[in-house]
Amino acid sequence: MIEVPLQQSDTVLLPERIGELTGLDQFGMAGELLAAFLAAFVVGNLMLAMTGVAGPWAKRKITAAFTDRIAVNRLGPAGLLIIVADSVRLLSKEIIIPENADRPAYDLAPIVVASSALLGFAVIPMGSGIHLADPEVGLAFVFAVAGIASIGLVMAGYASANKYSMLGGLRAVAQNVAYEIPLVITGMSVVIFAGSLRMSEIVAVQQETLVALGPVAIPAWFAIVNPFAFVLFLLANFAEVGRNPFDTPEAPTEIIAGYQTEYSSVYFVLIYLGEFLHIFLGGAIIATIFLGGPDGPGPESIGIVWFLVKIWGVFLLTQWLRSAVPRVRIDQLIEIGWKGLLVLAFANLILTAVIVGLIA
Amino acid sequence: MSTGLEKQTPGEVTEDELEALIGDRALRRDDHLNAPGFVIRPDDVQDVLFDLRDEAGFDHLSCLTAQQYEDRYESIYHLKKYDDPTQEVSVVVPTSTTEPVSQTAEPVFRTADWHEREAFDLVGIDYEGHPDPRRILLPETWQGHPLSLDYDQEKPQIVTLSEHANPIQPDHHDEESDTMFLNVGPHHPATHGVLHVKTVLDGETVVDVDPDIGYLHRCEEQMCQQGTYRHQIMPYPDRWDYVSAGLLNEWAYARAAEDLADIEVPEYAQIIRTMGAELCRIASHMLALGTFCLDVYGDFTAVFQYAFRDREVVQDILEDLTGQRLMFNYFRLGGVAWDLPEPREEFLEKTRDFLDELPAKIDEYNDMVTSNEIFQVRCTDTGILEPEVAKSYGCTGPVARASGVDYDLRRDDPYGYYENLEWDVVTRDGCDNYARVLCRMQEVEESAKIIEQCLDLLEEWPEDERNIQANVPRTLKPDADTEVYRAVEGAKGELGIYIRSDGTDKPGRFKIRSPCYHNLSTLGVMTEGEYIPDLIASLGSLDIVLGEVDR
Repeated sequence: MIEVPLQQSDTVLLPERIGELTGLDQFGMAGELLAAFLAAFVVGNLMLAMTGVAGPWAKRKITAAFTDRIAVNRLGPAGLLIIVADSVRLLSKEIIIPENADRPAYDLAPIVVASSALLGFAVIPMGSGIHLADPEVGLAFVFAVAGIASIGLVMAGYASANKYSMLGGLRAVAQNVAYEIPLVITGMSVVIFAGSLRMSEIVAVQQETLVALGPVAIPAWFAIVNPFAFVLFLLANFAEVGRNPFDTPEAPTEIIAGYQTEYSSVYFVLIYLGEFLHIFLGGAIIATIFLGGPDGPGPESIGIVWFLVKIWGVFLLTQWLRSAVPRVRIDQLIEIGWKGLLVLAFANLILTAVIVGLIA
Repeated sequence: MSTGLEKQTPGEVTEDELEALIGDRALRRDDHLNAPGFVIRPDDVQDVLFDLRDEAGFDHLSCLTAQQYEDRYESIYHLKKYDDPTQEVSVVVPTSTTEPVSQTAEPVFRTADWHEREAFDLVGIDYEGHPDPRRILLPETWQGHPLSLDYDQEKPQIVTLSEHANPIQPDHHDEESDTMFLNVGPHHPATHGVLHVKTVLDGETVVDVDPDIGYLHRCEEQMCQQGTYRHQIMPYPDRWDYVSAGLLNEWAYARAAEDLADIEVPEYAQIIRTMGAELCRIASHMLALGTFCLDVYGDFTAVFQYAFRDREVVQDILEDLTGQRLMFNYFRLGGVAWDLPEPREEFLEKTRDFLDELPAKIDEYNDMVTSNEIFQVRCTDTGILEPEVAKSYGCTGPVARASGVDYDLRRDDPYGYYENLEWDVVTRDGCDNYARVLCRMQEVEESAKIIEQCLDLLEEWPEDERNIQANVPRTLKPDADTEVYRAVEGAKGELGIYIRSDGTDKPGRFKIRSPCYHNLSTLGVMTEGEYIPDLIASLGSLDIVLGEVDR
């Protein structure tokens, strides 16, 4: 049997480490597979736990802080046990399925939405050795799987047999198409800098020191090297995850809840989970390609902490915008995407290419 | 003393001139307390109204009252001038009991469309030539007309549920229609109550809008007809525009009934009324701002909560004053229920504190909302309401003033203590959603000015002259067949009451002219051709309260 290495970098990935620790690596393919499953289980659950905290609790607390309220404070310290109560509540609700729903599509949509986001975390280096896979096409893979969510949204919008869902689904597609291109093109400018699509290399390049101001060394994070691209990417990302000012596909006051109007109980939880995972995945991509990934002061072993801080920072920003910024209209949204962001993204790409070409 | 803005009064039309204008078409005179009335034949309606509008300048069909007598039906067109609402004329159109058919006034005033539908619905007069003779408040299948004399209340009604059809489906060449019919409401996050907007979409563009109202119809007019003038009617107005505009509504009834029974309200009570009413206006405008931002921003955002936080202070003050937070029931015919709460200083201090903090809060709103660029691109040039259209639809209040229609009853048809205070009428000429928001926010500042002056007056008022209530007979029985139509400037616009006395202690006919009703009727012209988000924003900027629309 020929060994096909999944990756060629020198970093030790989580499946390998688990394999070594548990001795599973002695069992060949089967052992490797089992170790990979275990690693995926760990990472997946980490992310799910984060959304579990974010959805029922953190989001409420953050929004409340912005809007002069208190939010959950009755169950447990600072209302933290609401997470348990909400889980029980949401899972024990009745599933109401519309009569004319297009069944397989209607049932699959929430799963597609949630799983596509989860898949993206596979290639994200989270520091402290938590990194599932490091393929050569890492960045492209993340964009690709995140894009699958659009299919889920269309399925949800179409299969619900509800006009509001339909409008929401159409808006979601229009928005994702319009913003995915600037998103990917802005991401490409980072690839020009790093010279690789491999996530671990993108992170490694950013750990070099850009300028040293006395004792303070400013790292070469791409957000610092190219703040313009950072802002572009951040904007496109908000549209991609459908958050204010670009939350038009849901737009509760206009089209009720868009594509998720007809989803209840577990399906509703799945769709919501998917949305939060997407926000976190967006945060993870931003952290990885612009904020140096797990890079931060202190020993390398606490990398995961810095990584989580960065993800939550992006999450906080989405909640802030949600509380304070009006939603743009659908036609304005498309206009901003095609006429503004796309042009700027290309300008950024060309400029970056020229600059990198001149320097290197 | 005078109000800050003096409006130029156009040439007044004397009664002789009116008589000459209507000429032979006037069968006889039927004067009301507020205006000269001319009785005309049912087929002269358009003719006379056109002349009154174009020759005499009566460009505001304020209200249409329909009622049934033992021997006839009667439609009364209450006309006013936007330039000077103290000039009024009533056009009375009697029709026979057996065949109540009258010519429609819709070609003259667009607002007659909804008015005549309501008259048909509740009283049963047919308007010949009406473009859309459907019921408006009651379901299509309703049998009988509730305010007609022979209506059988005991009769069971069957209300069928039929699927709503796309009204412009036949416009398309074949079955594969290009448009989609969408029910916005009656349960929708942005309809501000139970409103059903039948919408037809072409993609995201709105091509046809038909507001379907009546879900909150509680027979307020009929209930008022069953209450005695002195005490039993006053609680009802609180329930029309029920979100904190209670005192303004109460004033509408108080003004009409006081004119009817010739009651003079003590000056001190007028000042308290003025202050209370303006507090209500602030609370109401705060809510309007908050909910409009809810529609534009998308969720329960900071602006909504801030608006509620600030409104809460006003609610507390009103609670101190009236003892209630929602259904105040504070006005009495000839005065108010009680004086300022003791200790007076504390109440005055609390209200002053609120006024002192208000400018900073307004600045905060301006920072967060009106100067936000996304907010501006969302709101400017959407929901356009041209001044002439606004007038034709009978719009009043901030909706009309934001379209440049300089019309405010507090100044133009003074009542209460307004004419003795310094304040300005806010008008803007943007005609769009943005102008309506700004107009309301500026009105909050003007109301604060009024309250401040009232507080000064109340503080200095000699203790032995604090007369809060005029002498009013225990039972009021105005002379039979006295009719009056009086309006005040409510939070949403001109809130008018028509009362006809029948010699008893209860009104023979009680008609409410709701500003929201008129403002809502413009939704179609404002939004057709725009996008769904603009439909929602425009609906929010009209600031309707369904309790007042449906009554």
